[in-house]
Amino acid sequence: MSKKFRWANIYLWFVFILLYLPIFFLIVYSFNSGSVMQGWSGFSLKHYNELFSDTRILEILVNTFLIALLSSLLASIIGTGGALYIYNLKHTLSKNVFLSLNNILLVSPDVIIGASFLILFTVMGFALGFTSVLLSHIAFSIPIVVLMVLPRLQEMNQSLVAAAKDLGANNWQMLSRVILPVISPGILAGFFMAFTYSLDDFAVTFFVTGNGFTTLSVEVYSRARQGVSLEINALSALMFMVSLLLVLAYYVISTRAVRSKKRGTRLVLPATEGL
Amino acid sequence: MTNTSTPIIEFKNVGLSYDDDEILKNIDLELEAGKFYTLLGPSGSGKTTILNIISGQLKVTHGDILFEGNVINDVPVEKRRMNTVFQDYGLFPNMNVFDNVAFGPSIKGLSKKEIKNKVTEMLSLVKLSQYADREITELSGGQRQRVAIARALANDPDVLLLDEPLSALDYKLRKEMQYELREIQQRLGITFVFVTHDQEEALAMSDWIYVMNDGVIQQNGSPEDIYDEPINHFVADFIGESNILDGIMKADYLVHFTGKDFENVDAGMRPNERVEVVLRPEDLDLTTIDNGKLVVTIDDQSFRGDYYEITAIDDDGNEWQVQATNKSKIGERVGLTFDPEDIHIMRFNESENDFDARLERYEDDVDDAKK
Repeated sequence: MSKKFRWANIYLWFVFILLYLPIFFLIVYSFNSGSVMQGWSGFSLKHYNELFSDTRILEILVNTFLIALLSSLLASIIGTGGALYIYNLKHTLSKNVFLSLNNILLVSPDVIIGASFLILFTVMGFALGFTSVLLSHIAFSIPIVVLMVLPRLQEMNQSLVAAAKDLGANNWQMLSRVILPVISPGILAGFFMAFTYSLDDFAVTFFVTGNGFTTLSVEVYSRARQGVSLEINALSALMFMVSLLLVLAYYVISTRAVRSKKRGTRLVLPATEGL
Repeated sequence: MTNTSTPIIEFKNVGLSYDDDEILKNIDLELEAGKFYTLLGPSGSGKTTILNIISGQLKVTHGDILFEGNVINDVPVEKRRMNTVFQDYGLFPNMNVFDNVAFGPSIKGLSKKEIKNKVTEMLSLVKLSQYADREITELSGGQRQRVAIARALANDPDVLLLDEPLSALDYKLRKEMQYELREIQQRLGITFVFVTHDQEEALAMSDWIYVMNDGVIQQNGSPEDIYDEPINHFVADFIGESNILDGIMKADYLVHFTGKDFENVDAGMRPNERVEVVLRPEDLDLTTIDNGKLVVTIDDQSFRGDYYEITAIDDDGNEWQVQATNKSKIGERVGLTFDPEDIHIMRFNESENDFDARLERYEDDVDDAKK
């Protein structure tokens, strides 16, 4: 190994340790038999037991995942439609206008988005709760999906569309059989991004939850204000594992398609090569 | 082409402009069913535009397009009984070879069994029967080309449109595909409209060639006609190698160029009309100075495998391209000879109709003289 390489490695490890140390610290203390983060008093699963007997937190957990799943699914559908619309705009100016409007939502602070939703829902007399959180999550997820899908469309060979038409396909057949399958990796990436954004969103959710309904991040925040219980650590450890699994799932899904294709041709190869 | 039956495709005074840019100017053409047509021209000549108008991808600014005698200007792409082989093939990357070819038939709503039969038939036609289960990414360029042809033909089109389909292939494969395309066309008996900028390809494959430049059809005819009797400087220059010189038709069958008079076989011009003279390099022979009609000095030569390409300069300073079987010495003075029928005369601004009329007129003269 060259000297240059080792320096690079050391730097990499340093950055990773810096990034993961707090989480690691948090996870380790979730197994502490004491009830504070100062001083290790022995290994115990008691905080996990507390967590699983806490029906309130389990209910919130289900709500959070339900919101994440529904909002990312709906945002994927709406966002893909939006990306298709922007892609099909002939006018460069209107294309850029739509794209900029999309990107502004991505970079604008969550606090502003959350506050504006709160004002909107209040003015409309819309009751805060599950639906208001779901709607706002869909709203901030759509730009993410658009941003992931649009490059796929732009990369797509133009003559695919021409070929589909040429072979007699109507617009719907062209979309469902050619365009959507071709851009599906982008849609999948958009879905997963939207899912994780929704799962850990705090600022927007904080504004629009109202009374009675809450998500995990908001709950953790409000509990942390009353002094950190190690139950929160246990919960965070579990959430971290879920995120890890999500990343792995995305990796597996996105590479499986490629691998299964290769496996398929490998089965065919011996049969054809001989002839 | 004197044919009383309705042409399968007809253009009547078709033009296409973008803003002030005239892409096509008053195109008239008639395509007979069952023939192999080539639209030949340099890039930007409008040949692909014509193809896209036939397929329906482009709408015309003026004029009518007829299919079997019916105007189809407003018939959408998917309703036309024609299919296209795209330049970059446009194969669907999310489908394997079988599903690509099956796309058209399945859109038509054929049964599973019919689709399978059709795909099998088409893949065997393009010699890819063993590749049905392969992914597109696993194919070579030549194989992708074949899939594209099979996919377009699986729809049973009346007309197959091919947009420079061979341009991405290497020389040997291209030659092979030229032969095979011709064979497929003859086997199926449908009309092929082939777009290319490669004059060799056009001459080798076509029943009939349309030579395009600047959005205008310069000349149309059989490959032999176009090669032997180019109508103007552009066609003579674009199709094959040519020596083009300024000359004067002193009288019928007597042309003057490079300061000398030569007997030839063209007639029907005004006395002393200024013309252009075309001599093909392969029609010229090097000989002794005494036997030569002209005396030239060898300037350069390059070996081309089956012949030597020789550049020679005559005493007037004109450059001559000659294809010779024997090697020459650079700087040597030799004789240059050719037959009267090798001299082709082109009049300035003569249209195809004028050309045909003149040809008929003086051929009648010859017939009368014989009587």
